[in-house]
Amino acid sequence: MKREVGHIDTFKYFLLPFCLFVFGLFALMLAVYFSASIPIFQHEGLKIYTTNVWRASENPNKEFYGVLAAIYGSVYTSVLAVLIALPLSISFAVFVIDYAPKKIKEPLIVATDVMAGLPTIIYGIWGAFVLVPILKKYVMDPLYAHLSFIPLFSFKPVTGYSYLSAGVLLGIMVTPFASAIIREAYRSLPFMYREAIYSLGATRYEATKILVKEIKPAIVAGLLLAFGRAIGETVAVSLVIGNTFNISPSLFAPGYTISSLIANQFGNAFIYKYMVSALFAAGLSLFFIGLAVNILGILILRRYGHAR
Amino acid sequence: MIVSNYKSDVELNLKSKTKYAIETENLNIYYGDHHVIKDVSLSIPEKVVFAIMGPSGCGKSTMLRAFNRLLELNESAKVSGDVKIFGKSIYKMNPIEVRRIVGMVFQHPNPFPHMSIYDNVALGLKLNKLVKSRKELDETVEWALKKAALWDEVKNKLEKPASALSGGQQQRLCIARVVAMKPKVILMDEPTSNLDPISTKKIEELIDELKKEVTIVIVTHSPAQAARVSDYVAFLYLGKLIEVGSTIDMFENPKEKLTEEYLTGRMG
Ligand SMILES: Nc1ncnc2c1ncn2[C@@H]1O[C@H](COP(=O)(O)OP(=O)(O)OP(=O)(O)O)[C@@H](O)[C@H]1O
Ligand SMILES: [Mg+2]
Repeated sequence: MKREVGHIDTFKYFLLPFCLFVFGLFALMLAVYFSASIPIFQHEGLKIYTTNVWRASENPNKEFYGVLAAIYGSVYTSVLAVLIALPLSISFAVFVIDYAPKKIKEPLIVATDVMAGLPTIIYGIWGAFVLVPILKKYVMDPLYAHLSFIPLFSFKPVTGYSYLSAGVLLGIMVTPFASAIIREAYRSLPFMYREAIYSLGATRYEATKILVKEIKPAIVAGLLLAFGRAIGETVAVSLVIGNTFNISPSLFAPGYTISSLIANQFGNAFIYKYMVSALFAAGLSLFFIGLAVNILGILILRRYGHAR
Repeated sequence: MIVSNYKSDVELNLKSKTKYAIETENLNIYYGDHHVIKDVSLSIPEKVVFAIMGPSGCGKSTMLRAFNRLLELNESAKVSGDVKIFGKSIYKMNPIEVRRIVGMVFQHPNPFPHMSIYDNVALGLKLNKLVKSRKELDETVEWALKKAALWDEVKNKLEKPASALSGGQQQRLCIARVVAMKPKVILMDEPTSNLDPISTKKIEELIDELKKEVTIVIVTHSPAQAARVSDYVAFLYLGKLIEVGSTIDMFENPKEKLTEEYLTGRMG
């Protein structure tokens, strides 16, 4: 017995360097972002996060950057994506496990894995050429025509490039990720719980509802992952969001996201004194958003009595 | 094969001559090609504890799950023959109705771990719309927890998740969950096989208490438990019903050699 404990300890020390390496790499990356952001903080303080301006200038004193619109757009579109992915991924997971005939079960799972692995530019092009026109014609135009007094629908859809388009596209893109996690949790739910709920006289729908509640931690985890993927997505989003410094509550308005801002502006940023630093600061805000979302997730799980 | 017709039990015959809680007629069960239950016909009288015993793998759990149509969760399971509860074929009833009348307690305590203790007991009542008001729900939950001898231990933490209870408490919670629905029959599949002796004793006392109102069919692989709790025993071996009769008769004077070997511990 004693010797086994010793073995475990040795193994722990063997793993330690790897753990430190990963952690160190992450810390270094964060440090780079911090130090690269310092010039812009010295130049304008926290206004980089609280204002919506993008003034590039040959004269560094006139330069001024505020990425609020991009932060807003990132959060807005990612929340939309998660809201769309939530029902899609749960129903898909339940369908695959409970309802899909044996023969198409595996093909369906493989198909979603392929979907998850597709290069995102593929989604972007499909989004720009197929999804955006469809959304504009069948969703935005009618809603605007009839319900434009509601702030959500108050922006006249001109091009169709908008938060909504980005949110829907992102929702479709992240569903396979969320669904995979939810599906595996649902699949591995012990059979005795299925027996329990049916033995109490539940219908299939009631049973599913109760069983899905039992995998709430996996659902939260899946949605966190989905949010992370959505907020980090770049290419596809920049093709459908409109890339406009704009803050609007309306789903149909064009906007920007942090990732697409960085991708779009990086090429010419080196011409200006502060723009690179401003983009690093924008990237840094993604760290913080990611951190905040994960803390939120932990809080939700803790309330559920399942935090580890 | 001897299938006793309980004539020896005078008391029962006085109470009800023909009323059986459960009857099976030529029950056969297959998993795919695997013939698990072989032509079993037996009758279980009302308001008794009826034990089904036999070695591991002989088909006890399988047969029990035919009594509330829970076997239908398993796509490969096929049933032929008939099962009747109180004279009515369960295949002519809605399975949900069957499961409300025939409750079940499982081998592993399986309350929903993230659901509160209260909600676990209330679940069946809500699903089957058995109560009309919040007050009635509260009262029934309390009543069921008292029946299951759990109330005193949980009355101050009804909102806690069921996973906060010990294994024995969880099993009593499962009994409360079933009792709350006021079923006529309770099936128990080795309800104490994962519990310590003290919890086992508590549950056996419960069974004694419950049989005043309901019929209990309990699966056990322990002859000692069957002797302690049951009024009747059926001995199942390799899917066949070898012998059935009153517990006292069978333990004192088994008619079949296989039964005797099993009871005396000469068989696994
Ligand atoms: N879901 C299933 N699919 C296929 N075969 C099964 C399934 N469940 C049980 N069996 C088989 O049916 C036979 C009877 O199993 P069952 O679980 O009913 O036995 P048991 O008497 O309850 O045993 P134990 O005392 O170990 O619980 C066994 O041979 C088992 O391998
Ligand atoms: Mg069994």
